This record gives sequence, C-alpha cells and structure tokens, in this order.
Amino acid sequence: MRSSLPWLVLLVVTAAPASAHHSFAVFFDDQTIIEVTGSVTDFHFTNPHAIISFTVKNAKGEVEPWRAETNAVTLLRRRGWTKDSLTVGETITVEGWRARDGSNYMRMRTVKRADGTVLGTPVSNQRVD
Amino acid sequence: MMARVTTLVLLVILAAWTLVAQGQQPPAKHPNFSGYWSAGRAFRASEAPQGPLPPNTVLLADAGAPELPSGNFGGLKVKAAALAAAMRWKPQDEMSISRVCLPPSIVYSMQGPFPMEIHQGTEFIVIRLEYYDLVRIIFMDGRPHLPASAPHTKVGDSVGRWEGNTLVVDTTHLSESTITNNGLNHSDNVRMIERFWLSGDGKTLMARQEFEDPEVLDNRGARYVAWDRGAANDHIFPYECDPSFAANYQAK
Repeated sequence: MRSSLPWLVLLVVTAAPASAHHSFAVFFDDQTIIEVTGSVTDFHFTNPHAIISFTVKNAKGEVEPWRAETNAVTLLRRRGWTKDSLTVGETITVEGWRARDGSNYMRMRTVKRADGTVLGTPVSNQRVD
Repeated sequence: MMARVTTLVLLVILAAWTLVAQGQQPPAKHPNFSGYWSAGRAFRASEAPQGPLPPNTVLLADAGAPELPSGNFGGLKVKAAALAAAMRWKPQDEMSISRVCLPPSIVYSMQGPFPMEIHQGTEFIVIRLEYYDLVRIIFMDGRPHLPASAPHTKVGDSVGRWEGNTLVVDTTHLSESTITNNGLNHSDNVRMIERFWLSGDGKTLMARQEFEDPEVLDNRGARYVAWDRGAANDHIFPYECDPSFAANYQAK
C-alpha cells in the first residue's frame, strides 16, 4: 500500500546504516528520514530483523497498515529491547528510512512512546550496532 | 627423603640441560584470544596493519557496517561469467522464504557488524559467530586439510598455526556464497588466509583477511577487521534466523 500522508517529517541525511543481512541501500532511501505515528498491531521479535506492525490514520482519516523493520534482534537486545518492549494498542512514533518503492514499509532508527520515551539505548551513529 | 629430593632435582636439571643441548625451547606462550569480541569494524587510523598487502591484492572498504553499493565490487577483478551473474543479481531474490536465512560464508560473515566468542585451546580454537550461529573450528594440531572430496560448508575447513604472536588460519572447503553482499559470489574453490593478532594492550583483536578464487577473480581480495574485547560476562546471543521475515517483502 502506498501512502501520501502529509504529516510525514522529512529530514535530509547524508549517511546510511547498513544491514549485514541484506543490502540496506537497495531497499531504503538512505537520504531521507521519516517519522510515522500509529498504533501497534504486532511486534515480531526474531532475526534476521524484528518487525513492528502498526496502523496509521492518513489525512482522510483512513487507517493504513505500516511496518517497520529493525536491526537484528541480537543487536536490539544489547540496546535494551525485549520481545515485550511494545504492547499491542500502544501509540508509538517510529523514525527511520522509508522503503524506496514508496510502500508503507520503513527501516527503524528509533521508536518513541506516546510520552516521548525512546525505547532502548538510542543509536549513537549510523552503524547498526 | 633427602636422597629422593636430590634425585628429583638432578632429573630436572638433566631435563633442562637436555633441552638446551638440543637447542630446544619450552613451548612458547601464545597470546590468548579467548573471550567475547564486540561487533566487527574497520581499522581506526591509529591501528596499523601488519605489513604490506601481497601483490595483486585489493583492499575492500566494507569491513564492519559499511556496504558496497550495487555493481561496485571494491576493485576486485571479476571474471566475465561471474561478473555477468553478479550484474544479473537482484536483491529481491534473496528475500524469499527459502533464501533469507541462508548464512553467508565466513568470507563475508567474519567482517560483519556482529560479535563473536573465541574459545582457545592448544589442539583447536573455536570461533562462535553470533551472525547466523556460525561455528568455526580451527585445528591447531598440524593436520592437513580435508581431502578434496569432503563436503564444503559455510565455515569450511580451517587449519591454523602460530607465527610468533600471530595466528595464521588457512581455510578451504568453503561453499559458494557472497563476497560483498551485492551479488558477487565466490566459488567452492575460494581459499582464505587470515592473520589474527592482538593490540599491545590486549583490548583489540585485529585481523587481515585475504582470499583468492581463480574461478571468479583475476586478483585477490583483502579486508582488515578489528573487534574490541568485551567484558568477562558478555556473550553472544542465539541468532535463530526466522525465514518468515521474508514474507514482509513478499507482501509489499
């Protein structure tokens, strides 16, 4: 599904993270960071990458499904994440790199809860660790 | 009692004299690589490589997190057939249930941004990679490589030796797998030589990886990789790759 959400925050960046598992740059726009806010519908905490599924209301009030791919779960664990870090129904804001094909799919950089708390230890730079 | 002690002392002296007379030294104490080593990374400017690269060898700049973009093979001279295959490769091809959890061989895995554990013995050394749960055994007992007919695997057949404080590992019997994570594969005939050494303070493990594959390459490739020593209670996590991840790409 493609989205034209007007409230996506776009930031120009100059560097990209890398996936050791599959090529990051091929699948994600490494020059643009977006922020998407929505409600968690599922959190699949397995390697090679965890998946956060969430729904987002677009400008027309329609609900769109989104997914955010994370780093490897083993790396997330070291940054304080667990399989219970996210609860279905909670509101989160995901920041990351959007899929190049324009679909509602992104690579996560950070996740914030509704109160602004950032989950786990934030990534200090663009490296995957 | 005194006579026994005197006899024992004489025997020890005799043994030591015999060693000296034969020009032999007691077994050297090798550096201890055992422990947890954090995610692989490129060398820092302050970390000097160990000697020059051999002739006709290109240094790949993708150690650690960086990746080479599509169509860029880092200066490797790729033979025509392998190059054509690499250029036909599409990353989407890897995102299938049957392929997404196939581990890369150690040619690629050893430089990735994942930690590892080393368990060093005298007869063999075990390297456990977090990445795809790969486990390497490096035989240090002087045995030859497996016969040519032996199966090839993603970790291959590794034999090692000490050159001073440097561990030199020679690996054959690797199965075909990616070199650069962007479509270029080595063949079953790749051979990799790794040299491992510790920094002066023992806090960093460094390696020079060299590989040659006459079936695929007209030159040789090399990487410098470094790992920082973790705490005594650090450990790798199970990777346990879940192929259902690929469904996310099928559904897009």
